[in-house]
Amino acid sequence: MQSLYRFLLLLYPARYREEYGPEMVAVFTEIQSDVWTCGPMKRIAFAVREVAGLLYGACCEHLRMLAGFYGRPVFSSRRFGMRSEFPFPKTTVSLMVIILAGVLVAIDKAKAIQQSVPYSHLEVGPIHATQQLMLLPTLLIMLTGACVGGLIGWAILFAFRRSGSHRFSGVNSSGAGQHGGRLTM
Amino acid sequence: MSEAVLLILLSLADQPRHGYAILKDIQKLSDGRVRLSTGTLYGALRRLLEDGWIVRFQEEDRSRAKQAYRLTALGRRNLQEEVSRMKQLTRVASLRAARKEA
Repeated sequence: MQSLYRFLLLLYPARYREEYGPEMVAVFTEIQSDVWTCGPMKRIAFAVREVAGLLYGACCEHLRMLAGFYGRPVFSSRRFGMRSEFPFPKTTVSLMVIILAGVLVAIDKAKAIQQSVPYSHLEVGPIHATQQLMLLPTLLIMLTGACVGGLIGWAILFAFRRSGSHRFSGVNSSGAGQHGGRLTM
Repeated sequence: MSEAVLLILLSLADQPRHGYAILKDIQKLSDGRVRLSTGTLYGALRRLLEDGWIVRFQEEDRSRAKQAYRLTALGRRNLQEEVSRMKQLTRVASLRAARKEA
């Protein structure tokens, strides 16, 4: 049971696991030793409760991380003051919802236009099955393009950080100052 | 405030406790009705720590795997507000239930 518990803990985000993992395992071990002296029904109820709790908890933590609620914000007040990991900021989720709503409205409008066009005009008429087959690869290509664009953007920011150029934002322009002219982070 | 969070805060109201002691105390507080899983407990503890309602309690002979937690002033104030809210709700509920019976 403990090995299953440890395995399920792997479903949690790494940072959460590092912080609470050892504690959770220790508490679980203590409760398990209590419950193991009880009847089989109590043991089953305990196992189901723990597995369900871990699965639910892991989902919640991942959702929190994706929504950008995890720890401090992705972008700090300083420009390009980025962390080593890049979870989605909250605004991305809202933006994605707006884009999805826009796509759904566009599909709805397209359907209305399609129904209003007479079927005799085949070139602008309903989409055939063969054309529908092309739709999925096109969408996949567009998605891949968006991902590649995102990766390029991320790589530029990463290269910018690696080069150390971002440190110039902390330079005291008034001369030596209190840091003796050194770059400040 | 969820029932789990309320019970955790109540458990920490009188003294600092570690995870296992919180679970046992919650079971006792609720007459065995509420049994939290460790996943639920630590999810709630993480949120309470982030919100500053509880803090880790430093004990000399405790390992990292057996951390104790204690209520902060903010946590205690929020708990008292929640208890007052529940008291008021219970009073109104009792009056309404009595009126219905009459």
